Amino acid sequence: MKEIIKELKELEELIMRCMKCGSCQSVCPLYRSDLKEQSVTRSKLAQIESIYEGKLKDTGKILKYIDYCLLCGRCKVNCPSGVKVDEIFLRAKTILRKIEKMKGWQKLILSLAMERPELMGKLAPFMHIALKFSSKKIKNDIYKPIFKDLSERHLFGIKRDPFTKSFAGLQKAQREKSQVLFYPGCAVQYIFPQIGEALVRILNYYDVSVLVPDLNRCCGVPAASMGDLELYKKMVNENLDFFESTKMPIIITCCPTCEYGLKDLGFRITGRAFSGKIIDILIFLEENLELDIVTSLKGKMSLHLPCHYDTHKSNLPSKFLNDHIKADYVTLDNQDCCGFGGTFNLKFYKKSKAISLPKAEEIKAKKIDYLFTPCPGCIMQLTDALISAQANTEVFHPIEKIYEEIKKRN
Amino acid sequence: MLKQSVLRKFKEIVGELNCWHKLEDLISYSYDAAVEEPKIPDVVIRPNNYEQICEVIKICSEEGIPLITRGAGTNLSGGTIPVRGGCVLLMTALNKILEINREDLYAVAQAGAITFNLAQEAEKNGLFYPPDPGSMKYSTLGGNVAENAGGLRGLKYGVTKDYLMGVKFFDMEGNFVTGGGKTVKLATGFNIPGLMVSSEGVLGVMFEFIFKLLPKPHTSKSMLVIYKDIIKASETVSNIIASKILPATLELLDAFTIRTVEEATKIGLPTDADALLLIEVDGHPAVVEEDFNKIKEICIRLDGTVEVADNAQQKDKIWEARRKALSCLARIKPTVILEDATVPRSKLSDMMKAIRSISAKYNLTIGTFGHAGDGNLHPTILTDRRDKDEMERVKKAIDDIFEAALKLDGTLSGEHGIGIAKSKYLEKEVGKGTILFMKKLKYGLDPKNLLNPYKMGI
Repeated sequence: MKEIIKELKELEELIMRCMKCGSCQSVCPLYRSDLKEQSVTRSKLAQIESIYEGKLKDTGKILKYIDYCLLCGRCKVNCPSGVKVDEIFLRAKTILRKIEKMKGWQKLILSLAMERPELMGKLAPFMHIALKFSSKKIKNDIYKPIFKDLSERHLFGIKRDPFTKSFAGLQKAQREKSQVLFYPGCAVQYIFPQIGEALVRILNYYDVSVLVPDLNRCCGVPAASMGDLELYKKMVNENLDFFESTKMPIIITCCPTCEYGLKDLGFRITGRAFSGKIIDILIFLEENLELDIVTSLKGKMSLHLPCHYDTHKSNLPSKFLNDHIKADYVTLDNQDCCGFGGTFNLKFYKKSKAISLPKAEEIKAKKIDYLFTPCPGCIMQLTDALISAQANTEVFHPIEKIYEEIKKRN
Repeated sequence: MLKQSVLRKFKEIVGELNCWHKLEDLISYSYDAAVEEPKIPDVVIRPNNYEQICEVIKICSEEGIPLITRGAGTNLSGGTIPVRGGCVLLMTALNKILEINREDLYAVAQAGAITFNLAQEAEKNGLFYPPDPGSMKYSTLGGNVAENAGGLRGLKYGVTKDYLMGVKFFDMEGNFVTGGGKTVKLATGFNIPGLMVSSEGVLGVMFEFIFKLLPKPHTSKSMLVIYKDIIKASETVSNIIASKILPATLELLDAFTIRTVEEATKIGLPTDADALLLIEVDGHPAVVEEDFNKIKEICIRLDGTVEVADNAQQKDKIWEARRKALSCLARIKPTVILEDATVPRSKLSDMMKAIRSISAKYNLTIGTFGHAGDGNLHPTILTDRRDKDEMERVKKAIDDIFEAALKLDGTLSGEHGIGIAKSKYLEKEVGKGTILFMKKLKYGLDPKNLLNPYKMGI
């Protein structure tokens, strides 16, 4: 126990930057929904502090409070003192996990997803079938599980063939001018291979050859958020080793959380950065290529900005939409997190849903036909919420519509 | 320690989910935004309606349990720290804006409503709620009334007390009390809203307010003025007001703050300047234009270099410097002590000189910015609470800052309140008789001193 207190004390330098002003209350989706201090960052930092200051002896009590967080990062971005909240929470969770171990099945899933990607690939067809038999098909590719505990969810199907099975190797552009590596991430690998396909083909169309890895290694963020930083570090290192080995100067991602895990957070936790650039697909298209696609849609469209999107480029997705997709653009009043938060959705589904529903209700009320969001996690979450809210809105990654237009040209 | 039977009663009133008594939960209510020692309450209760408040008060009164009303816990004077333990009454669930009245220009809101939400609702109706404390995006109106919160617009528009028309609260016996109302003129009995403003939760539990609203100003115009000498900047402030112009905001940044903001944000502030004034005038377009030009002349006469914001973007850039002042200062050292000593604005340059010499005397880093237009400065001491020696010097510096402010006919606190942070200085400002008067009033209403005890030295 002394060891744990000592390790928590090592966070003091980071924690005491918090001046307890309370700014985090104004942006925390959980605080705004719960209206109690325990849900907000300031309080969680005070709890950690109270352990190493000796005020709270029962060290095991606070993990569940710290774990109750979407890791959306809004508090960190808005913090006047620049407190590195994500780093503190992830490190504290890992330390506190020494008291309250992860459940057996959680550990099993994590290690399967992280450390055995080849096995995950082989299991995909079985999961594909298992989901089909244990659920009701609601609409194209959306299933509602029949088990009681899961029956409020609307899930996308797990694909029989993982993305890399069909796309591994160098996808050459006809008139190749440059090469990049694509990091698909687990969502594209198992659930949204069509986003991966769109990404590769758009780049090919603009003379960029795309190297698709044989295997998708998880970025490690789920391990970090479950309180296993060692496993997270291992995944970051494995991925960066692989990136370096390909000698590719640019890695393209289409999941902001993967990008954050491999770049910003990865650097702060491992001290290691990729020698080239890791860039989101929209940013790459806007800044590196002369994208001349303009597609038209009937009706209204809007944008949901994912939490971990590059904070310096947060205006880029809306500009991208307006430049390349012609439709009636509506800005949402609700700019909150979608409530997904990766493992948060698994651990606290009800709350996760409660956060997404007001957004879904607004989208429904404004009669938005197309909701775009450059993040597969947000697509899953908002699709679930929109179906629950009985809205007719469809959710896409912006590049899906760009690819449709390219297909028309060809 | 709270008796189990009492805890059961509390739970019966508000339900299990609105009542917390485990140490790990209570820690979250042991502090506020002030740099003060946290104290852990015995129980936290979140009422969902007014009746529940009344019932909780009656139990606390019978059982002799201290009762501390809390909103967002953002005050800077330790006003919500439960010094003697007891029951924290969390008002965050009573957060509705009940009415915006366009005919009679008032709003009705619950104590737990967020200040910013009221301002926005007013704006949607073409109206204006001017008080804008720095924490307005998360502070509650109950806290704003209890602390008499100010903001950037004090000079022209006043502070919270100038907008409170009516108040509803329970006293410590659980009696329902209402003061003020919806009429502009009202002369019935004591001016109870006036008494409750700035009462820091020691006289009753306030739960609903009526606030005055104003028509929204037609237009506004901003400028940034650069000075080589902060004394000239201070003189500019006095000169502007003496020429019978009231800018909506008139903010000052000292050299240290300017350099810190520029280092952190690179928004293009002149790092060799000794002071900056940020000025905004609002109102009818013709008047705005005339006042703006007069102010410009005064600034130039006093060796200021004027930069005018021609569009919304430039205006935003000017105000970004001010908005980011505290956060940029806060990043330098782990502990930030934000003071709010205030002087009559004609004494502003004397106060600036005093702060400079205090900073040198105790070898402390102090950045000063603030609401120059109303004489309310924020000397911000940057320190590390683990450094015992420096904290001693900080205490002495604060003593000196208050003494300087009082000597200049100023006050200990312009907008943060007394709480526990400044209670020992209060008598020096107001005198024995006033303290006695406050105490008699308080003990008449709350003989056991249960409502937010030890605040303001009571």
